[in-house]
Amino acid sequence: MSRLDALRGPSPPVDHNARSIAALAANPACHRRAVLDAAGIDKGKVVQHLGHPMQFGQSPFALIRSRQFKAIVKESGGAHLLRLLRELLGLAVEEAGYRDVEDVDEHAGRALLRKHTEQLLRSAAENRGDAATIVDHPLLKLNVAGYDVYLEPDVIAFQAQGKFHVVVIKTFAIIDDQAETAKVSAAAREAAVYVHALRVLFEQLRLDPQRVSHDIVLVCPENFRNFPTARLVDVRHQLEVLRRQLERLARIDTILDTLPPDLSLDLMMDGDTPTRSAAELGAAVSGIPARYAPECLSVCELAYFCRAEAKACGSLEALGRAVRDDLGGIESVSTVVNLATGAAVPSDDQVAVTERLRYARRIHGEVVA
Amino acid sequence: MDGLEERMLTLRREIRVASAAGDHARVRSLRAELRQVERTWEEAINPPPAPPAPVREHVHQALTLLGVPAAAKTIVAVDESFFSGTITNAKLTSLRRDEERSFRSSPNSRPYYLCAALSAERLSPVRGVLAVSTWPLHRRIIGPLSPRTDLLTSTIRIAEHLQRLTRAGESPLGGFRLLTAMAQNIPGAVADFGPADPDRVITAARAELAVHEEKDQQHRKAVAERAASQLAEVNQLFGAGLRTASTA
Ligand code: SF4
Repeated sequence: MSRLDALRGPSPPVDHNARSIAALAANPACHRRAVLDAAGIDKGKVVQHLGHPMQFGQSPFALIRSRQFKAIVKESGGAHLLRLLRELLGLAVEEAGYRDVEDVDEHAGRALLRKHTEQLLRSAAENRGDAATIVDHPLLKLNVAGYDVYLEPDVIAFQAQGKFHVVVIKTFAIIDDQAETAKVSAAAREAAVYVHALRVLFEQLRLDPQRVSHDIVLVCPENFRNFPTARLVDVRHQLEVLRRQLERLARIDTILDTLPPDLSLDLMMDGDTPTRSAAELGAAVSGIPARYAPECLSVCELAYFCRAEAKACGSLEALGRAVRDDLGGIESVSTVVNLATGAAVPSDDQVAVTERLRYARRIHGEVVA
Repeated sequence: MDGLEERMLTLRREIRVASAAGDHARVRSLRAELRQVERTWEEAINPPPAPPAPVREHVHQALTLLGVPAAAKTIVAVDESFFSGTITNAKLTSLRRDEERSFRSSPNSRPYYLCAALSAERLSPVRGVLAVSTWPLHRRIIGPLSPRTDLLTSTIRIAEHLQRLTRAGESPLGGFRLLTAMAQNIPGAVADFGPADPDRVITAARAELAVHEEKDQQHRKAVAERAASQLAEVNQLFGAGLRTASTA
C-alpha cells in the first residue's frame, strides 16, 4: 500500500479532472490541497463531516442541461461540430471521420481506453488520409506533482488539416456575440489543461506537440436556444500559467516526507456514514500546512474550513493577497492591530509599514469621528 | 347511414304503437332491436380507434423511412413528424434486448428484427443505435465516415418523402421542421430563414455525399465480409458478444 493510499484509508479514490487541476494550479503553494488531491480524498465528504459544507458545485439541473447540450453537439457523428469547424477553421469537406473511443468496449477499464485514445490520435496524426477527424471521449493521463491522474474530457479532440484542436462544450449562452468573461476564462483554464495533457501525450508518441493548437474551440448555445455556436479561444496565456504552476508544485513526495508518519485522513466510513470523530479528523487535516486565500472560495472544497482556521489564528492571509502584500512581513492580524494602535513597538523592518498603518488609522478616525 | 336512421324512426313508431296496445313482449323485443341499431349508428359516426401498432412496428416504419441505422432520438423524431408519435425513449431502451431474446429463443421466426448497428472496429453494438435485420450487413456497419454518410442519406430520404407528400397535397409541418433541423448542418442545404426546401436539401446533401460515399462503402463492405465470416448469425445481428441478452 502506498503512502497516499494509507492516508486515504479504504475508501475508493476520487478522480481528478481538468477543473480540479486548474484549481490545484490556482493555489500551488497549498500543501493541504496537493496532498488531499494526490491521495484522491473526497474533499467534499471531509468538509461536510468537519461541519463546513462546501457551497459550490453544479446543481442537478445544470448537470442535466449540460448532458443534454453535449448530446446535441455530438449527435449524428458530431454534425453540429462539423458545421462549426468548417466555418471556424475552414475544414475541408473530406474531413468528416468520427471515432468514439468508448466504442472499444462499454466496460473497458481506463487503461484500455487511454491506450485506445493514443492509438486513434497516433494514427490520425501519422496518416492524414485516415478518416479519424473527430475523436470523441478521449481519455488522457497527466502527471501532476508526481502523481498520475486520468483526464476524462467529454471534449473531442478535433483534427483539422493536420492540427489538433481541443473542443470544450459549455452551457453558458453566447448572446449577440458576447459571453460572460468570467465563464469564458474558466473554460479556457480548463481547456488549457487538456491542451497541455495532449501535448504531453504527443511528446511521448514522438509527434510534434505544436500540432496541438493553442486555440481551443469553445462550443456554447447561441442566444439561449439549444443551437450550438462556436468561437476560437487562444489559451496560450492559460497554458503558460498552468505549466509554470505545475512545475512549481512541490513534488508530492517531498511534502509527504514532512508529514507525521502515522497521519491518516480516513473518514472510517461505515456504509455512507463517517465514524471518525470530527475533532480528530479536523486535527489531522490541520496538520497539513495550508495557504488560505479568499480565492480559495471559488475553487476549493475545503475553503470554508480553511477560512475558519485562518480567521481563528488571525492569519493575514485570510484577508487576501493584496492586503498581505501591502503589509509585507507581518504575520498576524493582532500584530497589525498592535502596531497601528501603538501597543507594540515596530522592529526595524516594520517601521515603514507601521507609519503607513498609523497614518491610515488617523484618517479613518477623522472620517468616522 | 340513412337506412339506419329510417330504421330507428320506424322502430320508435312501432314501440309507441305496441305500448299503446299493451303488447309488452313486443315492446321489449322492439326496444332491444332499437338499442342494437343505435349502437351501430354511433359506431358508424365515431368509429372506435384502431388498436395502436406495437412499438416495434413504429420503429420499423421510422427506420424504413430513414433507410440507415439511427439513434433513438432520431427514430422518435421521425415517428412524431410523420407517423402517430407513440414511441418514447423509454420504450426503445428495452426493445433491442427483447428482440435479441426473441431471436435467441426461436431464431428467424419473425419477418424482421430490430437489431444493432455494429462498430467497424470491434463489431460490437453501437450504443443506442438501432437497425433492421433485413438490411444487408454492410449497411449496419458503422465506420468513421458512416455517421456522416448516414446523416446525408437519411436527410435525402426525408426530403424525398416530403416531396411525395407535397405532391399528394399534404404539407406536414412537423416533417418540414425535422428536415430543417437535419439539413442545417449540411453546407448549402438551407437558406437563412424559413423551412428547408426539399429540392435544395437533396442537391446539397448529394453533393457532399459524393465526397464520402465511395470510401465509406468500401470500408463498410470490407468489414461486413469479415463480420460475416467471423460471427455467428445472432452476433451479426446484435453485435459481437460483450453483453448479450442472456448475460445482461
Ligand atoms: S481552501 Fe484550504 S486546502 Fe483548499 S487551496 Fe485553499 S488553503 Fe488549500
